[in-house]
Amino acid sequence: MASFTPYTYIQCPCQESTSQGRPADDAPSPTSQDQPDDDDDHTFDPRAPRSNYSLYPLEYLLYCDVCHQIRCPRCVAEELVTVYCPNCLFEVGSSSLKTEGNRCTRSCFQCPICIGPLAVQSLESAPDPSLLTAESASAAPPAGPWILACSYCNWNSSEIGVKFDKPQGIFSQLSKLRHGEDHHSKHSTSSGDISPTKKSDATAPETAKARFAAMKAFYNAQNNNASPAGGAGLAGLGGDYGFSSPGALSRIMNLYSGGATGGGGMGSGLKAKPKSSVMREADAANEGFRASDLDEGAAVSKLRKEGWDGTVTREQAGAQTEEGARFADELWPIPYLLRAKRSKRCPVCRHIISKPESKVGNTRWRIRLVANNSIPSITVKPLNHSSTLLRPLQPVQYLLTFKNPVFEEIKVTLATPATTPGRFASKVTVLCPQFTIDANTDTDMYLDDVLKDGAKDGRRRGDEGTHQAEAGKIWERGRNWVSIVVEVVPASLRIEEPPALLKKEGDPEPDLSPLKEDEDVLEIPMFVRLEWEGDASQDQVGTTAGKEKDTREKRELAYWCAIGIGRISQE
Amino acid sequence: MSKRQSILPRVQSGPKAPVNFSSSIIISDSALLTGNHTINISSESVVHPRAKLDSSNGRITIGRRCIVHERTSIGAVSADPKPSESRDGVVISDYATVEVGAVIESGGTMIGEGCVVGIGCKIGKGAKLGKHCTLTPQSVIQPWEVVPDFTVVYSNGTRRLDKRGVADLKHKAQARQIEVLRKLIPSNPAKFQG
Ligand SMILES: [Zn+2]
Ligand SMILES: [Zn+2]
Ligand SMILES: [Zn+2]
Ligand SMILES: [Zn+2]
Repeated sequence: MASFTPYTYIQCPCQESTSQGRPADDAPSPTSQDQPDDDDDHTFDPRAPRSNYSLYPLEYLLYCDVCHQIRCPRCVAEELVTVYCPNCLFEVGSSSLKTEGNRCTRSCFQCPICIGPLAVQSLESAPDPSLLTAESASAAPPAGPWILACSYCNWNSSEIGVKFDKPQGIFSQLSKLRHGEDHHSKHSTSSGDISPTKKSDATAPETAKARFAAMKAFYNAQNNNASPAGGAGLAGLGGDYGFSSPGALSRIMNLYSGGATGGGGMGSGLKAKPKSSVMREADAANEGFRASDLDEGAAVSKLRKEGWDGTVTREQAGAQTEEGARFADELWPIPYLLRAKRSKRCPVCRHIISKPESKVGNTRWRIRLVANNSIPSITVKPLNHSSTLLRPLQPVQYLLTFKNPVFEEIKVTLATPATTPGRFASKVTVLCPQFTIDANTDTDMYLDDVLKDGAKDGRRRGDEGTHQAEAGKIWERGRNWVSIVVEVVPASLRIEEPPALLKKEGDPEPDLSPLKEDEDVLEIPMFVRLEWEGDASQDQVGTTAGKEKDTREKRELAYWCAIGIGRISQE
Repeated sequence: MSKRQSILPRVQSGPKAPVNFSSSIIISDSALLTGNHTINISSESVVHPRAKLDSSNGRITIGRRCIVHERTSIGAVSADPKPSESRDGVVISDYATVEVGAVIESGGTMIGEGCVVGIGCKIGKGAKLGKHCTLTPQSVIQPWEVVPDFTVVYSNGTRRLDKRGVADLKHKAQARQIEVLRKLIPSNPAKFQG
């Protein structure tokens, strides 16, 4: 509350295409020329609930240099480049991703209590992290049994009775301990349709996965029985009973088409088909059915015995790979969830605007077009006053500094509503809404410019006493930046009935509810329009051929941003 | 040793504290021992450089095979005004480890056997830690709090019981670590005695 850092959030233009319900076909021509007109009749309200989802700090935004438009994390199209384990940094191929699932199978586990990484340790030798490496190397190699231990919260797998015979292949050892068999066998159910039911005849499936497999097999069999030869060869297509089978598919299709056509063509034939025996629901353990255990006596007495500490938190239960854990001793080590590196494409022209290096260990980018390099940054600084709470109805001035990152001169036009939207309307005046920022020159000339800037600074300091903010004039100009002054008159936060005199018939009831969260923040919606000349775009092959290499082209970019100035005092 | 000087300003040292050292302790001569009550350090304990032991608010007792790391402050003055009935300022039992930057306030504060006080922890005046407690870094124990044996304090004060049962192994590891530290830290108990 006490401290407030001024901020600038920029709105991605994808907001308009969704909120105004423009047809998607309009999207491929976002030359942005028509956008200022679109916005003429509505002022962007940074307080609107939707705005939360479209405002980003400049650092979060990308920039498509073909469309010349801002792109945000919400509108870019993502593609997987690499899938890897964040713990062992091992890359996982897409095929094994499909068969093994989205968790690391290389003995990488998280603590079920605190999500810290687990380490394999021997129960015999001292499992102490403070043990010096030189010491442990000289000690005799430790022998099993082995446990998974968390060095942060001191949880270890022996608390749930899990010990391992060898320190390798923990993942398969653990799944064997947990599921009684190799978990990979469950994946065979799709190919062998009868065998799982046969297998489960002997023993009722224990785990959720096995139960699901048994139940799936049972219902597949039921489906098959429910559609006997009536479909005239439809079901006679062989032993594939899954929903993916052509028989099942055409049966489903016929259900729909039969209903729609109302008894024409082949639909009528199917309708006439007598309903075969009613499908039975699974009701035995080997069919994957499990009656809910309504006798909670054991759980209640356990709760009494172990108390609050024996139960799991919602986060702990949520992090588990299988649901249903209620007590701390039902928590299993969590195999690390895999992560992905993604490349990002412009949603409109499909050009790649961000692409990471595909090697897991390399954190660089091959391509990364950040908005930071294409649109000016805006920084906010109080002018001639300290930046504590704003006093209501006391005009204050703020310096907005625009820094130009591109190698062209930019013409900037700003527009703000006269008062901020919302219940507490503060007055806003941009003293100089139109100015140009010089190009960001090459670094060769940098030293020169620094020296020039320094000289300018000295001169300014000399006449600081007479330096006044004037309407229509910029405050200060540097190599590639311009500062302008914004004057605000903060509104009073007092909530009171508007005077009866001003009240008109049919006015909406005034909102007299108490101050809401962050309603005391003075936030200015500002429309920024940039104009500059750049090299003609080279993306369209047809047009480039005809054009000269150094054709210049006028460019425009316009967007809304929200500038947080400060908090208004509530006196 | 090189002649390089520390750039840190010399910490203002108070009166020279009366000490009672076992002959087998390891104490760096840049440790800071101040106060007017006795500072007892038992056999084979290690006090790292720049550890600060302040007995102005009560006796400080460090048990056997304890390790007190750098920039710790043991016997710090508490903001809690409630007077302590104990004559002891801080008692650190055998095999305890106080890691870098931890603060243990004075006033009948008791650290149990085999406790690990993590980096940057703060233990309030009169708090009592049971045996083999683990405080993860930056944990805070309020004044007068009693922490049961084998408690692990982690993620912003969440607590659980340590069920590893590795106390003996920890003791062995502690002894081995002290052997290594004996080679690394030049000990100079004479500086503080007499
Ligand atoms: Zn967007
Ligand atoms: Zn891994
Ligand atoms: Zn843990
Ligand atoms: Zn594009």
